[in-house]
Amino acid sequence: MTVDTNISQSDGRAEALVGAYERAGYRRLTPPILQPAEPFLDLSGEDIRKRIYLTADADGRELCLRPDLTIPVSRDYLSSPEAGSPQGFCYLGPVYRDRGALPAEMIQAGIESFGRPDTAAADAEMLALGLEAVVHYGIANPEIRMGDVGLFAALVAALELAPAWKRRLVKNFNRKTSLAHDLDVLTIGGATKQPEYQGVLAALAGSDPKAARALVTDLLSIAGISTVGGRSVGEIAERFLEQAALGATTTLPRETRTLIEKFLAISGDPDEAAAELRSLATSAGLKLDAALDLFESRTGFLAARGVDVGRIRFSTAFGRGLDYYTGFVFELHDPTAPPNGPLVAGGRYDELLTRLGAKTPIPAVGFAVWIERVTSCGGLA
Amino acid sequence: MSTPLVIAVPAKGRLQEHTEAFFARAGLPLVKPRGARDYRGAIADLPGVEVAYLSASEIAGALAQGAIHLGVTGEDLLRETIADVESRVVMIEGLRFGFANVVVAVPQAWIDVRSMADLDDVATAFRLRHDRKMRVATKYVNLTRDFFSEHGIVDYRIVESSGATEGAPAAGSAELIVDITTTGTTLAANALKIVDDGTILRSQANLVAARGASWGESEREIARRILDRIAAQARARAYREVRTRFPGCNDALLAEAKERFGVVAPFGGPTSSGMLTLHCPPGAVYELASFMRERGAHSIVVAEIEYVFAPENPLYAKLAAGL
Repeated sequence: MTVDTNISQSDGRAEALVGAYERAGYRRLTPPILQPAEPFLDLSGEDIRKRIYLTADADGRELCLRPDLTIPVSRDYLSSPEAGSPQGFCYLGPVYRDRGALPAEMIQAGIESFGRPDTAAADAEMLALGLEAVVHYGIANPEIRMGDVGLFAALVAALELAPAWKRRLVKNFNRKTSLAHDLDVLTIGGATKQPEYQGVLAALAGSDPKAARALVTDLLSIAGISTVGGRSVGEIAERFLEQAALGATTTLPRETRTLIEKFLAISGDPDEAAAELRSLATSAGLKLDAALDLFESRTGFLAARGVDVGRIRFSTAFGRGLDYYTGFVFELHDPTAPPNGPLVAGGRYDELLTRLGAKTPIPAVGFAVWIERVTSCGGLA
Repeated sequence: MSTPLVIAVPAKGRLQEHTEAFFARAGLPLVKPRGARDYRGAIADLPGVEVAYLSASEIAGALAQGAIHLGVTGEDLLRETIADVESRVVMIEGLRFGFANVVVAVPQAWIDVRSMADLDDVATAFRLRHDRKMRVATKYVNLTRDFFSEHGIVDYRIVESSGATEGAPAAGSAELIVDITTTGTTLAANALKIVDDGTILRSQANLVAARGASWGESEREIARRILDRIAAQARARAYREVRTRFPGCNDALLAEAKERFGVVAPFGGPTSSGMLTLHCPPGAVYELASFMRERGAHSIVVAEIEYVFAPENPLYAKLAAGL
């Protein structure tokens, strides 16, 4: 295979694709290529530091070549007078990531939709538009992978677990080996080292939580400790007491672990999966109604948009490895090509705009098209 | 004349003193023919070697690029500065000085944090509560990132710090730090404690070869001679020479001494007149002497050794295998 080295010159077909998005009401944005590095490091994690091109301005502020367009488009939207109102944007342009021997510059087209209250319909529209993009490139039957991070979050919220364990399970959803490890630790207990104060913790665990917290707060205050390293004394006291629940005294009942594993094993087309999830929730006595209603409503909107729902491969365990997704996620792949990353990928990221500084939560959903991949997979359509 | 073999050594401080002492002990005294302020030197009586005085971090960089052949620098700097360090350099030997541990340290007031798992949870809870990520002050950006990643910690930000890192939590510019410590005193003075399983690296000064340098016949030959002397000196330092007349010594006794005290018999068993020479680890000398006297040995003389030139050259073998 030959790689076109002149990829920054976007082809007419990509222009036509974005033109169609513009006619569908998505305003085209062209954010600067040079972006402040802070939001990317903050939202995607320090791990991306080794994959992005960093530089600094004269004042020492870190800048980078944009590694994606979701964050730049979100920032442009937030600084515009329309911030907060429902707005849709499209884009086409280069992104830069260090990929070793592969070219660092890649072209992405895509859509970001902000502020729409009709969650299920907006989700469905993104998948439908993503499918149109691959059809536009002559790939008739892409493999559709779908997940819903919100379902796992709802499951964890419904379980009877210590708050610390809930945080950890949700955080580790995108890191499946950590998640398996967490489940092991939870079931076996003891694998986490007993804190030195296990006895005190056990004694405090049975007492009035408010009194226990006041005691620990007072003890820290006696030691002359106020806010240290950004955490308040109250915060430290609270988590210190949570450890009573985290220690070897509590372990995850085997049936709860089995339940989580059964949950994460559910896959199939969305209708089959929804039926399985409902029966699992009923038999375990878990309230997952809100998350499941949204899921089924989305499937309905997908069908209404003409998507062949039976072709969607849904899996509860499917996540995109990125922490900013909060709900629906999807990827389109070419089943005939060797695995080379998705052709189109996206999802819902309702907390991102708040993390970027929005005063009130603004729902957001979008996707990106990898132009080089669809071009090479689609061939001459 | 062919190009010289370039050895880089630290240009200042304790690391320079220790490095010069190390080469001097190996019979390779570093000299500065043009005066003490010069940053270029040589090894006395060993032509074809150029000694470059650089900062320890410059040495790590020069090793990565192959701009020098050999260098003395800390393992912490090598692992921090060089991506995929094993493919770029050969760590020939730890030099038993410049010890420092790279550790994760948090405020002592964080009584709820003892392990990296605790820290992971605190990091996530911190992000949820404060809508920003916990900050880690460090100059070891890469070591920190890899170590945190191994422990599944994602909710943190690195704040680069080039000096007085341990003051960052008190100053409010970070919540915790990753830094080097030798005794932990500075950390304690700043009300910080080391996380139980938070030791990222136990570092010491290393003699290191650059894979990317030009290793022609002449460079290899000079390196072989340098490493031969270093190995001979290291072997000498690891043992005391124990001499005695011990006609009653037999193979069984010798085997027992080897087993119990870790001695070696460089010249084999006793001579026809009963003279026996053993090399014994310094800590076991008295026990060995008692053991032999109880079994009929005469006076036992113990002496320090200058060099032991063995037939094999393990340090050069390691270098040659790595290039």
